[in-house]
Amino acid sequence: MMARMLPWFAPRIALLPMALVALLGYLGAAGWTLWISLTGSRTFPSGGFIGLAQYRRLFDNERWLLSLHNLALYGVLFVLACVLLGFLLAVFIDQDVRGEGALRTIFLYPYAMSFVATGLVWQWLLTPGDGIDGAIRALGFPHFHLDWIVSQDMAIVAVVLATVWQASGLVMALVLAGLRGIDGEIWKAARLDGIPAWRVYLQIVVPMLWPTFATVLLLLATAVAKLYDAVVAMTQGGPGIASEVPAKFIMDHLFLRSNVGLASAGAVLLLLPVLALLAPYAYARSRGARREAA
Amino acid sequence: MYGIRKIASCMLLGVGLWASAMPGAHVGPQAVAQAEVIHWWTSGGESAAIKQVAHAYRQAGGAWVDSAIAGGDQSRAVTVNRIIGGDPPTAAQFNTSKQFLDIIEEDMLNPVDDLARREDWDRVLPQPIVDAIKVGGHYYAVPMNIHMQTWIWYSKAAFERAGIAREPQTMDELFAALDRLKAAGLIPLAHGGQGWQETILFSMVLANMGGRELYLRVIRDRDQQAIRSPQFRQVLQAYKRLKTYVDPASPGRNWNDATALVIAGRAGIQIMGDWAKGEFTAAGQQPGREFGCLPGLGANSPYLIQGDVFVFPKTDRPEALRAQKLMAEVVERPAVQLAFNQLKGSIPVRTDADESAFDACARKGMAILRDRARPVGVAEVYLTPDQNGALQDVLTAYWNTAMPAERAQGSIASALRY
Amino acid sequence: MNRSGLARRLPLAAAAAPAARSGARRRWNPARIGIYAFLLCAALFFLLPLYVMIVTSLKPMDEIRQGGIFALPHALTLEPWRQAWSGVCTGAACAGIRTGFYNSVAIAVPSTLLTILLGAVNGYALSFWRPRGANVLFGILLAGAFVPVQVMIYPLVRVLALAGIFGSLPAIVLVHIVFGMPVMTLLFRNYYRGVPQELFHAARIDGGGFWRIFVFVMLPMSLPIMVVAAIMQLTGVWNDYILGLVFAGRDNLPMTVQLNNVINTTTGTRLYNVNMAATILTALLPLALYFVSGRWFVRGIAAGAVKG
Repeated sequence: MMARMLPWFAPRIALLPMALVALLGYLGAAGWTLWISLTGSRTFPSGGFIGLAQYRRLFDNERWLLSLHNLALYGVLFVLACVLLGFLLAVFIDQDVRGEGALRTIFLYPYAMSFVATGLVWQWLLTPGDGIDGAIRALGFPHFHLDWIVSQDMAIVAVVLATVWQASGLVMALVLAGLRGIDGEIWKAARLDGIPAWRVYLQIVVPMLWPTFATVLLLLATAVAKLYDAVVAMTQGGPGIASEVPAKFIMDHLFLRSNVGLASAGAVLLLLPVLALLAPYAYARSRGARREAA
Repeated sequence: MYGIRKIASCMLLGVGLWASAMPGAHVGPQAVAQAEVIHWWTSGGESAAIKQVAHAYRQAGGAWVDSAIAGGDQSRAVTVNRIIGGDPPTAAQFNTSKQFLDIIEEDMLNPVDDLARREDWDRVLPQPIVDAIKVGGHYYAVPMNIHMQTWIWYSKAAFERAGIAREPQTMDELFAALDRLKAAGLIPLAHGGQGWQETILFSMVLANMGGRELYLRVIRDRDQQAIRSPQFRQVLQAYKRLKTYVDPASPGRNWNDATALVIAGRAGIQIMGDWAKGEFTAAGQQPGREFGCLPGLGANSPYLIQGDVFVFPKTDRPEALRAQKLMAEVVERPAVQLAFNQLKGSIPVRTDADESAFDACARKGMAILRDRARPVGVAEVYLTPDQNGALQDVLTAYWNTAMPAERAQGSIASALRY
Repeated sequence: MNRSGLARRLPLAAAAAPAARSGARRRWNPARIGIYAFLLCAALFFLLPLYVMIVTSLKPMDEIRQGGIFALPHALTLEPWRQAWSGVCTGAACAGIRTGFYNSVAIAVPSTLLTILLGAVNGYALSFWRPRGANVLFGILLAGAFVPVQVMIYPLVRVLALAGIFGSLPAIVLVHIVFGMPVMTLLFRNYYRGVPQELFHAARIDGGGFWRIFVFVMLPMSLPIMVVAAIMQLTGVWNDYILGLVFAGRDNLPMTVQLNNVINTTTGTRLYNVNMAATILTALLPLALYFVSGRWFVRGIAAGAVKG
């Protein structure tokens, strides 16, 4: 009888750490953050209840609103660029080129480096006059200008450039692996049928790689929500407040400005769109899973 | 099956490594006064300076455990988290500011009143410093040094090339000098476009043009009328006018890269704290020879000071209390003050300190400090970190965009209201 | 033939695919030239910052102050590298970033191993056993992966202080496990989804229980995905700064804290050459791991890990 009961207990016990982490860790922290966002906590999370005052202050705060706008812009550009570049790199490497190992390492090494220093290097590269800007002009293109990083409108795009440099290697590796998992028969069949390569990719391979892309999108989305190091290392949110992002706003107020209440309110507001996006995805997946199991 | 053995041995190795690295039995109370000190002095000159203090502390019979964490805000964050986590350091560095006000209110700091009385701090320390460390009649921090935030550094070579004969004494003369520098093809004002540097520039204009009175009314009293006054608007406009003298690559630049421009003679003037002196010295330049330093415009300009202090988190353990008392006493010794400040580029806290061992610029500062009418605190001495940050956000936005001065006034007024 | 059926049969055909496609050496035509040109341009783009870093790390500070980030060093010097490893000041101590190396290893090894183990168990339980409510927990975990780490610092500090282990090696390992669990569970769960259910059912019929099947059937098959997970988790833990700073306690501060002390001084002089050298030195361990296991990395995911 014990032998038959065990299979009921075992998975639940095995999942106990996950349950603890999810409930006490993440759910608990979320609840705690929500509570603190309703208080006037400063350095210590021990302020008194003040209702929605912190949220009101957030929406009165130009820097926070600009942060949200920047995050949306950054998110779209970053994800598109990473997916596109990663996909192209993977496809091209997969064409039986020489030196594939070296190329893969070249595209992956940025992921291994701490962004604190590489961000500074990107700041140097993008500084007008001294960096790429000056170098290309010296090569004989006197009208070339690259001053994104000092521009109010384009500073966040400069951050996109540097973070795409760091992250697309990982996307490439994931897509490459997915490509490697595709049956070689498809290529033979396509060649026999005379279908040009680009059409095979676009109409057959890409849809087949949809699960790969789903994981990639998930990982990239988490990176977007947590964007902080790159902004601090490259522009510090500047020029002015042009490249501010929510994670930096939260972090600044959490420690530097000793306003835990406001930071918590910001964190709650950052989490809301994430939940709004994840919930339908999860629902669709669970429906699909049920259909699979049936 | 080969795979499973490999995994199992890896895991055993991992757990073994982990277990061997776990802390041993709880260490009993030390006979010697052991002080763990959290600070953010990590680079060459700063490191040499804090080593002097550590050395003196060891000579006095204590054991110094150094916990350096670069970045003031990170260092303070760790201090706060250690206090919350129940594992506070013996001493922690803060600025003369309201950063540790909340910690005092939570009753998490040990006061140092007896040392303050013995050393007669009320009389010997500059008023802004006393304002920052004395809360509710008790002293909670031991001051280490005094920095001045708004020195005007200039390159003698650049001034010569631009034909500037004498140091500017008023705001108008400063603008005239900047014009000459521009005409000579140099970068008139070397600036690093980061929020805190923009605040320094603003503080300099407010203090020198608005005067001590307006400065204190806006920054210390947060007087809404003073902020909305036409006088303050003129200050804002003069501040924005400085922007026409910086080069287009300034946004994001680190302060020491801006100093490098002055050192190389490519730029004329930089407005920066006295820590810039270290860069000049490291490049082999001397005050009065290759570069000059002005504490302000005119003989009575307000002298903006800030300082570093050590606070002592609350503890009942007798050995920790002993260590705290020893450290507080060592840090205030004139010999230690001298050794530390010489290497750090700042000046000693006591107005009666011996100035003969310091360089020309530091001596200027120490002389001004003795005139009780001139020192005022920098913004963070009077504003909470939150207010200071909100002010900085407005200033940096105003500096970098086409925001009209009236709107900046309104934004500053609401920023300082919360 | 339906695509999803094909996809499910892919896992073990991965190794065969490249061979099936190459065969005879390709001919040179405009398309291949275009491919190499694109890859070359991309490689230049990726290598540019590394070039600047290396060149800067070999110059003395005087040269750096002159400007010219692309210029080759006039007075080539290895002093910044020596300083970065063992001489640069990181506080009152001036012993370089070497002091944090062993701490980083002590933190990284158990964090990586334990998180991978837990991720594997979670993924296995979620894919095959599917107890009620497990998917909800997984969803919470996934949502948590989006939260900036700093937000959770205060509650974790309190909890660890209550447990009496704040500021110790077990504390930082526990924290890394908490933050690493979402992605690790995701990787393994998707991987096991690609394993045919028949395998599992056969093992059950043979009398296997939860743990027996996991240890003797699933784990041996998981080696490739474990390497993938190890690379991602190790890189994350090795380069982590803020968690090590807050939770590890004074005796276990990782290398990244020293690295930060070297780079981010507030009002002290900045030695850019030493900064660059220190950054490259810190990155050597994850890079070495990529070199050694590069081909495993790609093959591992090919075995179905990335199915959504």
